[in-house]
Amino acid sequence: MTCTLGEVKNRADLVIYWGGNPAECHPRHFTKYALMPKGRFIPNGRKDRTMILVDIRETPSAKAADIFLQVRPAKDFEVVTTLRSLIKGFPVDEKLVAETGLSMEQLQDFADRMKKAKFGVIFFGMGLSMTRGKHMNSAALLTLAAELNAFTKFVAMPMRGHGNVTGGDVIMRWTTGYPFGVSLSRGYPRFNPGEFSSVDLLIRGDCDAALIAGADPGATMPQPAIDHLARIPTIVLDPKVTHTSEISRVHITTAVTGVSAPGTAYRMDEIPLPLKPALKSPYPTDEEVLRRIYQAVAAKPYLPAPMIPQLAAV
Amino acid sequence: MLRITGGKVFDPANNFNGVVKDVCIRDGKIVPDVEGGRTIDATGMIVFPGGVDVHTHVAGAALNFARAMIPEDHRRHEQFVRTMVTRGGIGGSTPTTFITGYLYAGLGYTTVNEAAMPVLSARHTHEELRDTPIVDKSTCVLMANNEILLDQFEAGEMERAQHMTAWHIWAAKAYGVKAVNPGGVTAWKWGKDAKTLHEPIPGYSKVTPAKIITGLAQIVDDLGLPHPLHLHCNNLGAPGNYTTTLETMRLLEGNRAHIAHMQYHAYGGDDWFTMRSESAKIAEYFNAHKNLTTDAGAVLFGNTVTITADGPWQHLLYKLTGRKWGNIDVENETGCGVVPYTYKEKNLVNAVQWAVGLELLLLIDDPWRIFLTTDHPNGAAFWRYPEIIQLLMDATFRREQLKKLPDKALKRILLPELNREYTLGEIAIITSAGPARALGLAHKGQLGVGADADVAIYNESKDIVRMFSYPRYVIKGGEVVIEEGEIRKVVEGKGLLVSPTYDKAIEEFMRPRFQQYYTMAFDNYPVEIERVENADIRPCAGK
Repeated sequence: MTCTLGEVKNRADLVIYWGGNPAECHPRHFTKYALMPKGRFIPNGRKDRTMILVDIRETPSAKAADIFLQVRPAKDFEVVTTLRSLIKGFPVDEKLVAETGLSMEQLQDFADRMKKAKFGVIFFGMGLSMTRGKHMNSAALLTLAAELNAFTKFVAMPMRGHGNVTGGDVIMRWTTGYPFGVSLSRGYPRFNPGEFSSVDLLIRGDCDAALIAGADPGATMPQPAIDHLARIPTIVLDPKVTHTSEISRVHITTAVTGVSAPGTAYRMDEIPLPLKPALKSPYPTDEEVLRRIYQAVAAKPYLPAPMIPQLAAV
Repeated sequence: MLRITGGKVFDPANNFNGVVKDVCIRDGKIVPDVEGGRTIDATGMIVFPGGVDVHTHVAGAALNFARAMIPEDHRRHEQFVRTMVTRGGIGGSTPTTFITGYLYAGLGYTTVNEAAMPVLSARHTHEELRDTPIVDKSTCVLMANNEILLDQFEAGEMERAQHMTAWHIWAAKAYGVKAVNPGGVTAWKWGKDAKTLHEPIPGYSKVTPAKIITGLAQIVDDLGLPHPLHLHCNNLGAPGNYTTTLETMRLLEGNRAHIAHMQYHAYGGDDWFTMRSESAKIAEYFNAHKNLTTDAGAVLFGNTVTITADGPWQHLLYKLTGRKWGNIDVENETGCGVVPYTYKEKNLVNAVQWAVGLELLLLIDDPWRIFLTTDHPNGAAFWRYPEIIQLLMDATFRREQLKKLPDKALKRILLPELNREYTLGEIAIITSAGPARALGLAHKGQLGVGADADVAIYNESKDIVRMFSYPRYVIKGGEVVIEEGEIRKVVEGKGLLVSPTYDKAIEEFMRPRFQQYYTMAFDNYPVEIERVENADIRPCAGK
């Protein structure tokens, strides 16, 4: 149950951030979409909205919150489940509530505010989806939002990562049917997170070459995965020399997308935005580099003719 | 150059109904004669103009949302391994884009109309259509719940509304205008719906669904668009909704209109327990009013996924079935709801739905005005169209299927009494010639000189499903793309668009309102023409 960000700007009178720190990670979120702007049905902007922040620690985002709920680590699932009961008037286990770090009063108030809102939105981050319970926490929260629609209008959406991760997700879905963790090794798409997701492939040593574009696994992945990247031929396409570049076989500097390279970026709510480069770069775009690699591979005498004709065209 | 000889040609637009004659092709068009080149011996075969799907959902944000929701469906269906000529992918209820093109061509279809495109994500729709090979594509842009437009309706500014509509069509690079649950999707932004035609919708005092319907139909006619207003009526799916449909059709007297997936709008009864078919009343009115065309939106038993801009209906379906539910509201414009669904023979409601789609196809007497669709993927996946063709052509087979329905259902439907059987010529009309004409595509759906060389050649067979599922040859723009059940060549399709005229002053009127209500820059909103693959701008008849 979700919407594009303009719906939040125009209608949301209750804005909840759960397990995220938008003040530092999505710095324009408050001002452009969710808190400050005046909307079609929110004529007084910030004054017409209430912001509730749910997190395990007080981050800079708490300064923007009307209510800060400090939940005990790894207890988000219990909080969501309790809220799902409270909105329906079902009895709740007080001992379970005590474990969450929040009081019955806080939770009842939370449930009441959600039901009384004209339009509520929950933005959830990795603080929720990566803690104990993982995707089950997201599933529970999405179910809460869906169930709230019996009472009022409620949506929930994830705070997506940096770069064009949403665009990658969107394109993977329309070409393979799946958002990530896809193997094409048998000539058709297979989806299995945990088997085909990059961290797992690298730790098990299942791949014997790697091409990294616009990401820096050498800085973020577990050591065994990084060790494997260092072992195999790794190629990096990036505007900067990254941690991954330093363990790679080849680093190709490419133009910065959106600054010198055109294209399309998909916003976190999956709206496509055209990128209009303002500056020229001495470096080729990622697209150009990939085409040239492809042509070079296609020109190898022992390989069959190129699969995708337009990529081989000069 | 290509000559097709010896086949029985069905070209209803030019009055050929199974005549053995040659069809000659040069430079992608039908020509009177050709010398040299390839000859296809079509003896014992049926030659049809390439299929035209007038209402389907194959590309864009809503469809891609559905793809995310049903990985289990992807696994359950046939996987497509890549070949030297084709990309890999998955089929099922929401095929990946490359596979969509291959599957449509695999049925002999060469033109598809993406029936619902929001302006805000039109760029996404066009990107997916670029990756949909072989078929030509048109799109209908969603306008009936566009709030900046509805504000003009509220103010009675209909001339300005016309300029605004034309501007949006070009901004989205669309071919036609789609209205879904007019007013209802706007109301859904607050969790409500619009179930009566004459009550103002939330947030407005003068705008009613009726005003939106008549206003938009008139605008589309005044702009001279080749395709009339494409309308998904209010109260889709609800028992008793046939009265809304009749009232809607009455409102449209004096305008052209295409009523989408009529099956979902032809129910009687008061609730799910008394739901019944009212196809006869719908067909009676429809037959008498030649300003309208429609498509069946038939259902078939089995698994599929429902995808529609009708948000409130999908919320109801979620509450009824408890199945997965996805919903995206699109700021200022529209929304979509997705619910995987299974139509079951033993379910009374589904049995009635199955019958109603077929009844409408059998009761509406003019095949030039009712077309074969399943509102893909809502009623069933498009690659199951041959099953519907069989149900229409073979009354004996149809009666066999009726035996599978619960007894109670037989009292709610008319189908047992209907004996009509479609002829091959009529099938050619409802799958090709008719939809082409309704879309205003004079160069499609026919094999006359000057038409696009889009041809489907079938082995004539008593096994109707097999015949229509596996064309012997499929020719697109003069290229033989399918032969002997294999895709031999993949070509790019064209993007069909219109460029209706509007007063440029409308941009400066819209700019401040847009900046106030949207969350992107006004200048980034329109889709750049370069993003439409092989753009083909078709003429309008407008003022």
